[in-house]
Amino acid sequence: MSTISTTASAEFRPLSTTTSTESDLRLVATQIGFEQRAFWRNRTRAFFSVVFPLVFLVVFNAINGGHHITELGGISYSTWFVPGILAYGLIMATFTNLATSVAVSRDAGILKRIKGTPLPRWVFMAGRIGSTLVTAAVLVGATLLLGSLAYDVQIRTSTLPALIVTVVLGSICFTTLGLAATTVIPNADAAPAVLNILVLPLTFISGIWMVLSGAPGWLDFTAKIFPVRPLAHSLQHAFHPATTGAGFVWSDLAVLAAWTLGGLVVCLRWFRWESRR
Amino acid sequence: MTHHPPHAIEVHHLKKRYGAYTAVRDISFTVAVGEVFCLLGPNGAGKTTTTEILEGYRDRTAGDVHVLGFDPARGERRMRERMGIVLQECGVQDDLTVAEVFEMYGRYYPRRLSATDVIRLVELDAKTTDRVRSLSGGQRRRLDVGLALIGDPDVIFLDEPTTGFDPSARRHSWSTFRTLCDLGKTVLLTTHFMDEAEALADRIAVVAAGEIVAEGTPATLGGRDRATARITATLPAHLEPSALPEFASAQVALHGSELEIRSSDLPGVLHRLTSWAINAGISLDDLDVHRPSLEDIYLELTSEITDPRVQIPAMSAHAPHHGKSTSK
Repeated sequence: MSTISTTASAEFRPLSTTTSTESDLRLVATQIGFEQRAFWRNRTRAFFSVVFPLVFLVVFNAINGGHHITELGGISYSTWFVPGILAYGLIMATFTNLATSVAVSRDAGILKRIKGTPLPRWVFMAGRIGSTLVTAAVLVGATLLLGSLAYDVQIRTSTLPALIVTVVLGSICFTTLGLAATTVIPNADAAPAVLNILVLPLTFISGIWMVLSGAPGWLDFTAKIFPVRPLAHSLQHAFHPATTGAGFVWSDLAVLAAWTLGGLVVCLRWFRWESRR
Repeated sequence: MTHHPPHAIEVHHLKKRYGAYTAVRDISFTVAVGEVFCLLGPNGAGKTTTTEILEGYRDRTAGDVHVLGFDPARGERRMRERMGIVLQECGVQDDLTVAEVFEMYGRYYPRRLSATDVIRLVELDAKTTDRVRSLSGGQRRRLDVGLALIGDPDVIFLDEPTTGFDPSARRHSWSTFRTLCDLGKTVLLTTHFMDEAEALADRIAVVAAGEIVAEGTPATLGGRDRATARITATLPAHLEPSALPEFASAQVALHGSELEIRSSDLPGVLHRLTSWAINAGISLDDLDVHRPSLEDIYLELTSEITDPRVQIPAMSAHAPHHGKSTSK
């Protein structure tokens, strides 16, 4: 054995060292780059977070494309459905995507490994969050492009600031909630189930898949105090041709802001870097 | 904070309690710069808890701990820039390639080794452009070692680095670890394999039930060098016991024609026995010398510990199958 080690060290010594200090912000940018590479290479994850919502967009428009919605002043189905599916996609790309990836990394010990390196934890998290937001931006762009080119959905200049603010706040809100959700995910295997239980029922009562004009009051109230409907409604409002003014729905934005704060508190208080064993 | 300590690692009366369970009772040791120190002990002895306190992962209940002059509980970045950790279970970003992973982790350290050199050192040069996902268990372990090395650390922690390996893979990875030792790094190794401790360590501390029960070099551990040796040989039949020479300070027994001598003065006894045999024209064909192996010493040391808490299952459930188990 000693012969092997002697040969090995003789062959590799001296090892060359480099000395250079990168700023933490540059490290964040590097992290985002590597996170993005890893994200798009994992086909299943990329499909689930980005392509899946676009498939819904195409399928539902194919089924209901020619219809007009009388409850909402006779607007075209696409004008109502595209902002709704935009909300759904945003939730998939931020909340579900981030929570799953963090739960998997935590179970695999990647978070623990990072803790043992000089990389500040906030830099790692900023990289992961930044990458999530880049993915969300790609999905928002694809949805709006597909909506306007294929389904003639108009992005109105008067409500564009409201649209942007809602998308940005919604992304931040569901990113924060995604991190918060990892505190109730026991292990990586349970992640999809837990996340679906949290999100799917809310999408049904939040007017994403169907117009809920006949829903009972308590259901309507429930939807309004959770963050899914405020996001969907606020986006739908920005796209509605009858919307006058800048189109900000302050009550919706307030609910999203409140959930962002709540999620932040949960993260700061209960976020775990190591899995339970 | 960064005065130059005579020791790379100093542990004084370390204690760690988890609720009612005491994982570490009272552990003290020091590791000199450039030394390979091994904590050897059964599962649940407190090796990993001790190591994780030194790595900064766990708080301690009591005691004083310094790594390179830093208190690991404070989690200082400057300390982590100088240590490399090989954890028991550690995933890496599966969808990145080997080269990308080394590039990414290298950027975390202000002083770092060339990724190409490290990849060659851990013999992953043929896998540079392969995804981490496609690596075998042994290759992943070598990746772990390489990543612990990338920041050119002064101290390296190897926590049960070969658990779950087959014997040939274990021996092969030892040569990689020896290279670390040859590079002058201080290494803290934990293991429950005696042969691993014996092959790699300059000094060994045997840990059982949260305490160090013996400490020494592989040759002297547990008084192994001074322990009684047993000499056996077969003599010609019908040899009178009175024909044997006198052995001072030795117990001599003759069972039929089987001779057995126990003595702590092995060279003296051997000399008297063999010169007598040559003069008497006796061949002593099956002459044999038995000394306690490190394993004998280890089993003796750890079997004295009858504390039932050593058997706590949560502490002994350490990664039965390594490498692939953690990534899903």
